[in-house]
Amino acid sequence: MVIDKEGEVFSIQTIDLTKRFAKKRHRGFFGFLRRNQSNNKHNDVTVALDKVNLNIRPGELFGLLGPNGSGKTTMIKCLSTILIPDEGRAIVNGFDVQKETAMVRASLGMVVGGERTLYWKLTARDNLTYFASLYKMQRGHAKKRVEELLETMQLSDRADERLEDYSTGMRQKVAIARALLHDPPILLLDEPTLGLDPNFSRQIRSQIRELSEKHGKTVLLTTHYMDEADQLCDRVAFINNGKIVAVDTPNRLKAMVKERELVEVAVYRPPADIERHIRSLLPEAEVVKLIPGDEDEGNPSRIKIIGGNAEEHVEKVIDALRQKNVRIGSLNVGVPTLEDVFIKLTGAKLTEGGM
Amino acid sequence: MMKSSYQQSLLRSNLFVVWNEIVKNIKTLLAYPTIIVFWAIFPIFWFIPFILQGQAFVGGLESANFAQITGSGEYVPFIVIGAILNSYVNTLLYGMGENLRKEAYQGTLDYVLAAPCNKAYVLIGKAISESLSSTIFAISQLTISVLLFGMSITLGVMVPVFFIVILLILGLYGMALIMAAFSLMYKQSYDLSESIGYIFYIFAPVRYPIESLPTWAQIFGKLIPLTYALIIVRSLMLLGTDLSTVYFEVVALLIIDIALLIAGFYLFSWMEEKTKKSGIISHY
Repeated sequence: MVIDKEGEVFSIQTIDLTKRFAKKRHRGFFGFLRRNQSNNKHNDVTVALDKVNLNIRPGELFGLLGPNGSGKTTMIKCLSTILIPDEGRAIVNGFDVQKETAMVRASLGMVVGGERTLYWKLTARDNLTYFASLYKMQRGHAKKRVEELLETMQLSDRADERLEDYSTGMRQKVAIARALLHDPPILLLDEPTLGLDPNFSRQIRSQIRELSEKHGKTVLLTTHYMDEADQLCDRVAFINNGKIVAVDTPNRLKAMVKERELVEVAVYRPPADIERHIRSLLPEAEVVKLIPGDEDEGNPSRIKIIGGNAEEHVEKVIDALRQKNVRIGSLNVGVPTLEDVFIKLTGAKLTEGGM
Repeated sequence: MMKSSYQQSLLRSNLFVVWNEIVKNIKTLLAYPTIIVFWAIFPIFWFIPFILQGQAFVGGLESANFAQITGSGEYVPFIVIGAILNSYVNTLLYGMGENLRKEAYQGTLDYVLAAPCNKAYVLIGKAISESLSSTIFAISQLTISVLLFGMSITLGVMVPVFFIVILLILGLYGMALIMAAFSLMYKQSYDLSESIGYIFYIFAPVRYPIESLPTWAQIFGKLIPLTYALIIVRSLMLLGTDLSTVYFEVVALLIIDIALLIAGFYLFSWMEEKTKKSGIISHY
């Protein structure tokens, strides 16, 4: 635990945590001859984490939200000692990630990369026993703990089947069981419900809530599913281009746009200039954002308008879309979500690439 | 008392890591049934062409000229020993780098590196499991040699031979760590392993006595641990000597082992740190 000057206790604390990556450029076979031609070194570096300051309290279920490439996974990898930060500090359960790596590792359980990170040619029992040994567990204790977790995850019946015969959701359950093997006080969960069907997603969410509420685990959850963060998290931080742009409870964050009205229109095949066109018609709107959908998959594009008078917007938007011959799927005047807050704060949406 | 009990439990948990690494690798290997065919059939294919070639050249299974150089005219056991010890080179050099590359590709490497256990025990487990497959391969080759070519093996000599094989494995383990380090950084070490494997094959006396090489090549060959292992094992098995006769080679092998192990551990730790700083560790 970390105790700050005001006497507040934190399970995870980051102070100006910074991580940069060199950009890989393919320069061809004789590229090494041209290696020093670049004069601007800043252009060759991606800042994945930019002076990140976070304080996560014991037992808190903390969400880190951001689009792909925003720095969420880099954050988890720095906290779990897989990556070494370039600047700043990170303290996990009172241990410095760069100086006390063994203690940090023993304090953490993580789910990063999901089902792919297991041995598919081995059974669930073999996988868990193997990873238990890496956590310095004695044979007898490991065996007992593996049985307990197989039972908790409702996998006992199929514990001796190879993971290649499991469904994605079942493999994800094994990945979560692995994170719990040594009963760590802190869990780092990177997109734990990614790619799962609604039934397994619900089960995994319920387990995450139980781990926090009943077992007192501190959970750092990264996701780009807004509803998931809204339902589960005590507090949420938005991260974009490696920077934390806001930290608060989901309700307080939503209150940032609550007094503003929201119009959301589902549309098919919108022209490229539709966002600009609508913005020119609604100068009083704070945000006009086109979120491209995947029409082949049955997801139309969405236009979000935040701020101004929603009633007036509706008429103008319908007119604008008719002028451009855009088919309207649905139109809602509604309550803002965390995604709307993120759009308002960054101008980007959570499902698009940040960097 | 407390300390001793802690050390015992630490030792047990470290051995548990090594054991589980071996079990994991062997179970994964056995998940591919074709590997059994490889172990059963390939040993025959490896050395039969050389034996047939030798028979065609000298008109039998013995050669007076060969006896003048090596002290024993029978070239079949000479080739068999070369093939067996060289198989440890192949499996350890290729196996370790490939094993880590696969872990990175599967995404399991992050979990191994983020676990609190000492990674040296994971690597030892990997090296032992790679050596085990070589040992099964070696037993197949020896059995075939005894059954098909009438090769005789004195059981008493197998203890010092086993000791020398362990010494060879230690040196190769140092080299395998170097391959693993390259695998972390460059995500493949196959080309380097292949090149080193060929260098060993040419400059170490795998298929011919070291005396057949030009002087400069013999000097180079004496920097290779396989050279000493082959000289010692052939001396023990074919000439009936004991370890005291070849103590110089044993000491030389030991010195090379220590140098390679230090270089291997140092390079692996350095590359691990470097790849964690650059972020390459998570690439595959």
